[in-house]
Amino acid sequence: MALQDLPIQFGQISTVQSCGAVSYQDSILPSLSLPTSLPLASSQSVPLPFPMSHGTTTLAFMFQGGVLAAADTRSSCSGLVACPAAQKILPVHSHLVGTTSGTSADCALWKRILARELRLYQLRHGRRLSTSGAAKLLSHMLHPFKGTELCVAATLCGFSGPSLYYVCSDGTRLQGTLFSVGSGSPYAYSILDQGVQWGLTVDEATSIAREAVYRATHRDAYSGNCVDIYHISSKGWTRRSREDLKEEYYREKERQERDGM
Amino acid sequence: MALEDICGFKDTPVHRKWFPASHFEDTDRSFHMTDFGLRRLKKSGRNSGIPLQFFIPTLPNSVPFNPRPSLPFSPSNHSVTVSRPFPLSHGTTTLGFIFQGGVIAAADSRASAGGLVACPAVHKITPIHSHLVVTSSGSGADCMLWERILAREIRLYQLRHRRCLSICGTAKLLSFMLHPFKGTDVCVALTLCGWDKEVGPKLIYVCSDGARLNGDIFSVGSGSPYAYGVLDRELRWSLSKEEAISLAREAVFRATHRDAYSGNKVDIFHITAQGWSQRKREDLKEEYYRDMERRAKIVEERKRVTILDALG
Repeated sequence: MALQDLPIQFGQISTVQSCGAVSYQDSILPSLSLPTSLPLASSQSVPLPFPMSHGTTTLAFMFQGGVLAAADTRSSCSGLVACPAAQKILPVHSHLVGTTSGTSADCALWKRILARELRLYQLRHGRRLSTSGAAKLLSHMLHPFKGTELCVAATLCGFSGPSLYYVCSDGTRLQGTLFSVGSGSPYAYSILDQGVQWGLTVDEATSIAREAVYRATHRDAYSGNCVDIYHISSKGWTRRSREDLKEEYYREKERQERDGM
Repeated sequence: MALEDICGFKDTPVHRKWFPASHFEDTDRSFHMTDFGLRRLKKSGRNSGIPLQFFIPTLPNSVPFNPRPSLPFSPSNHSVTVSRPFPLSHGTTTLGFIFQGGVIAAADSRASAGGLVACPAVHKITPIHSHLVVTSSGSGADCMLWERILAREIRLYQLRHRRCLSICGTAKLLSFMLHPFKGTDVCVALTLCGWDKEVGPKLIYVCSDGARLNGDIFSVGSGSPYAYGVLDRELRWSLSKEEAISLAREAVFRATHRDAYSGNKVDIFHITAQGWSQRKREDLKEEYYRDMERRAKIVEERKRVTILDALG
């Protein structure tokens, strides 16, 4: 079904300047009002109440047991830890999970929009949209906002077909087997490159993901607090209970003392 | 000093203010550089008091570094800045850490300028003296210059005072020499890795922003986050020499794998109480193939184990 049949109209630049309130209750045309000018002419856009920041560490990789997604839980606002227990991995439906990076407000909104669109598709066609279809849908929905200050960098982790996609608000849509996004991603990448292989067991994959997020939170100031790990398999997603990385730090210190450091 | 002459230091009011005596001595020597590069031997009395003479750039009439000595007019008319031939970039991966067997310093060998690999075989680790090695990051030209200046100052100190300057002292000296250039485009981030006779292994990071940090583990450059991940995981005091070297190699390899501005080869130096020793340069391509083989072997092993489990 072509995208223009959707009742939602995106990219409607309304001439009426509003505070960006989105009315979900509007049944026919939930129009999203954007600032009337491009962000370069910042005189008309709503001034931000606080500076936005994109500090996070999220990662996702494919292996023989499905897809594993992990993220830290620190929501930062250029120097302030706005929330130490944020949720950066948001389930979209029972077999699709998305990690979020960028502006958390934008990510939360777009995840809800994506969830709604996928549910509508499921109701209309009687089957779930594949992960690559969901990625394409999200990418096309974000496209009208290219060039604005919207900042969403999500990895969609599913379980149908090639099941790991990275979608970003500047238009990137990549399929891959290993992604890490955010300010802490370089630290995580090196650990993941060392350890991730196709043939890992679920426990090994979990411990590599935890270690990668831990190392990133150790070095990156904008990542920290706890780690969330989601495992997506053919039966759907399962979530491990949130683990405080402080414990991991103390465990490691003990290990180092034992080794005689 | 050659640097002084080329920078035109003698003719600036700062030099007159600082060294009034030497200026009167040299009034017969005009600045016009008509000797076309032939330098007279420096009088030994001039430098006796102060070993540190550095040029403070006087903006905006600062003298540009002009290699052509045939300037008949006073340099203060010249306010043209030399335009850059290519964009400078600071892509590199260098690291250093201390363990029970001394200090390891490692670096890649790619010099990048924007998106071009200007040179795939650069030496980013330079020995200063027998027990001190410096890894460089930032602008390659600035690093090379400052390493030479540092080596010269350390040698002069050694000749004057008959002992080697400590690593902390070296770092302080370098930091103070770089301080006047804070706020200019000089970009130098050096890690001094050495062995002090009194204190043992030392690792100090000095940067042209003014930072001077003592530590056990440093990694500098665009590839440094990738290296930090690997180093934080495996580094222990009790590593053996071979393990430390292979850890350094792995860290640089992971960084060069992910960072576009690092690559090509890895240099590893090991500093002990006996001095520094350099390993033969290793191409990271080989490391990549070895890593692939290792993974293939693990897969084979698992397949074999699962087949055995299925049979037994």
